[in-house]
Amino acid sequence: MCAGVCFVACSLMRSSFLRYFFLNLYVILSLFADLIRQAVLRFYSLDSPQYMYAYFYTDCLLTVTLFVAVISLASRVFAELNVSRYVRLVAVLLLIGTAGFTYAVVAQSTERLATRFALELSQNLYFVGLVLTYLLWGAVLKLQETRTRLVQMVLSLGLYFSAYAGSYALVNLAPNSEIVQYLGPILGCFLPVSWALTIMRYSEDSRLTPARLVAVPR
Amino acid sequence: MSRKLGALALALGILAGAMELKSLVTAHGKTAVIMANGVSPVPKFPPPSN
Repeated sequence: MCAGVCFVACSLMRSSFLRYFFLNLYVILSLFADLIRQAVLRFYSLDSPQYMYAYFYTDCLLTVTLFVAVISLASRVFAELNVSRYVRLVAVLLLIGTAGFTYAVVAQSTERLATRFALELSQNLYFVGLVLTYLLWGAVLKLQETRTRLVQMVLSLGLYFSAYAGSYALVNLAPNSEIVQYLGPILGCFLPVSWALTIMRYSEDSRLTPARLVAVPR
Repeated sequence: MSRKLGALALALGILAGAMELKSLVTAHGKTAVIMANGVSPVPKFPPPSN
């Protein structure tokens, strides 16, 4: 929570709030979601339906916001190619496609349709975000992107999504291990911490030298 | 027009890849759900009844 507040505060102080608006929006919504969940948890137990609804609906909202944040980074990476319009088109198609696919899967379930839809949409969007972030990684390397902040934010998103996918494998390997219950909160801290460090350590004018970014033998 | 079709094909490709990856990763999963938005504890979600 401290890292999230730090990230938003640094963005405001360094006049980067609007430049990285959707990243800030994600962090702010994440803070509010945690407050709402803790408030619900004060009155209801962890296994109560009230907490389950509060958790999964806020999570779905956060995942959609994170998806928009990834798209906003993609728009910035592809800005010089004048394809921002098509990036937005791909984003809308992906969102509609993912929602349609999720509904088609969930419609076969007879109970808790809305909550199951929120949960499945959230998970599906995570994996769409993972693929999208890897494509963005490839584009950053191919276009030899040198803006340090942009590169580090895309890299941290890639690590975050990869860790999320990897945590599934860990759960399958050791479903009864105690570390499993700490994975979610640990991963949840990663993005605000890495973004806050990026905003604090580098200015908007910081650049990476292309040779350090990728070495292509010719 | 071709660019729009390209965008549609890219979106479909990403969606297919993502769902393939999800089915690969969760193929042997029971009902484990890990969410990573925020630091609150994850509630248990009952498995679908069908």
